[in-house]
Amino acid sequence: MFVLRWLHRLEDALIVLLLFTMIALGVWQILLRNFFDASLVWIDPLTRHAVLWIGLLGAMIASRNDQHIRIDLVSHYVPPRLRRWLVLVVDLFTCGICALVAWYSTGFVIEEMDFGGQAFAGLPSWLVQVIIPLGFAVIGLRYAVLVVLGLLNRRPQPVEAPQS
Amino acid sequence: MIALAAVLLILLALMGAPLFAVILGAAALGFYAMETPLSVLHINLYQLSDSVVLMALPLFTFAGFLLGEARTADRMVRLSQAAFGWMRGGMAFVALIACAAFTALTGGSGVTIVALGGLLFPALVKAGYRERFSLGLVTSSGSLGLLLVPSVPLLIYGIIAQQLSQQLDMPSVRILDLYLAGLFPALLMVALLYGWCAWTTRHDPVPRQGFDWGELRAALGDMRWELPLPLVVLGGIFSGVLVVSEAAAVTALYVLVAEVLLYREIRWRQLPGIMRESMVMVGGILLILAVALALTDFLVYADVPSDLFAFIRTHVEDRITFLILLNLLLLLLGAMLDIFAALVIRVPLILPLALRYGVDPVHLGIIFVANMQIGYFTPPVGMNLFIASYRFRRSIGELYAATIPFMLVLLIALLLITYWPTLSLVLVR
Repeated sequence: MFVLRWLHRLEDALIVLLLFTMIALGVWQILLRNFFDASLVWIDPLTRHAVLWIGLLGAMIASRNDQHIRIDLVSHYVPPRLRRWLVLVVDLFTCGICALVAWYSTGFVIEEMDFGGQAFAGLPSWLVQVIIPLGFAVIGLRYAVLVVLGLLNRRPQPVEAPQS
Repeated sequence: MIALAAVLLILLALMGAPLFAVILGAAALGFYAMETPLSVLHINLYQLSDSVVLMALPLFTFAGFLLGEARTADRMVRLSQAAFGWMRGGMAFVALIACAAFTALTGGSGVTIVALGGLLFPALVKAGYRERFSLGLVTSSGSLGLLLVPSVPLLIYGIIAQQLSQQLDMPSVRILDLYLAGLFPALLMVALLYGWCAWTTRHDPVPRQGFDWGELRAALGDMRWELPLPLVVLGGIFSGVLVVSEAAAVTALYVLVAEVLLYREIRWRQLPGIMRESMVMVGGILLILAVALALTDFLVYADVPSDLFAFIRTHVEDRITFLILLNLLLLLLGAMLDIFAALVIRVPLILPLALRYGVDPVHLGIIFVANMQIGYFTPPVGMNLFIASYRFRRSIGELYAATIPFMLVLLIALLLITYWPTLSLVLVR
């Protein structure tokens, strides 16, 4: 439980920090260009990678409550008893796919580490990519937990994805 | 074997599997069948960091969440009521304008019904409109404005089209062009809907309001910090001073300052929570986008669009027939899928086809999003139907019945938009 709470806080803090950074750097870049006639080369790749990280962190947080975008026929049109088994199959599938991606992605990132390339501003390229295997591993694990909870009949109901 | 797996994936999707997992499954299956090492999936997903434009998605969404959390909706309804309430069918027009403006500002649409519907529905009924009419109007206007700047669906269409344009021979698709092209179609929709509202309520005893300069001034004053926002965004983008991603950064900062420091409707303490909530939604969309990029790469690599074209060409000869079939397909899928998911899955398949039938990619983007807008409230799974059902405590069946006339009006608008490309392209080409 302690580890879980710690992980949640870390995810939340990182995603908020990245968004703040993105806003600040985006505006700073405009000011630099228009008023000081300058630009910093690392801002652009940094914000682009921030998008990648925000995407995966957001997806990780969304899988805490199974908040992913789906075709939602089941929760509106299927009786609860049948629903439980459908949800179990679906969770198992999701977990499997994430594991698959996490596995191959880890392999790629390890190769990248051995190769020792640089992404930008002196950051090693494996470091900026590591969120992909990490993200899918965490999402996969969260669905594995949902599978177990589903078998015990204690799985929380899927939550409607929030919409902007 | 492969076919069986594909059927299984579709079945899983219908059973409610997260769409990102289904699309990933499809891409993995495709690459596996072509004996490509699956680490290619990592490379595909990493493409999410390729596009500068994509930065606009989290920033606009965050700004939208802030506006949704503050009392912007109240101010907007007050202002449009003061400005347009005196007209025939004035309150209906107010609803249309306020919804379109709010959806445009917030990029998506679900929040429009939640934030505005709750204000507009009782206001419409109180002004003397029939309840069923009001319900239908509010529910179907919830997605109006999806074609206006800074529409997130148009942005996503543009990003996918730009990615495809590296492999296809096609005219450029600038995000700016898409926004310009969306203007007249959006106005057409508002005009047609207003015309229908005025006609259908012509015998209803709806008292006309007087026009009050004082109230208009007060409403304008009330919105003083938010009124410059469209100017900043539109002016910045269309004058060429800001690219779309920069305009998004300015918008996010501007809204942050306006709601937190000037209006003081959002406390600093609430900010991390709002940021997190908005980024969870963005994460869901970005993940779908990333896996769709992977699927796109596979489809282009395996030359699926060419095969599809060869197949369809034997049945469909001219552009008009193609567009009719396209609209039917889009409406059908739009009723089933979440709009963002629908967009990222369909564009890579349909854009190459449409190009060969001589459809302009910018025009196609407008057709796509106009279709999606209707898909928001088409049964069985139109998202706005469920939000409205929950918000107004009405049965889904009641909402189907209430929205059907509005859907027909928007279908007419869709037909005009589809078969009259000039309407979209006049400002662009």
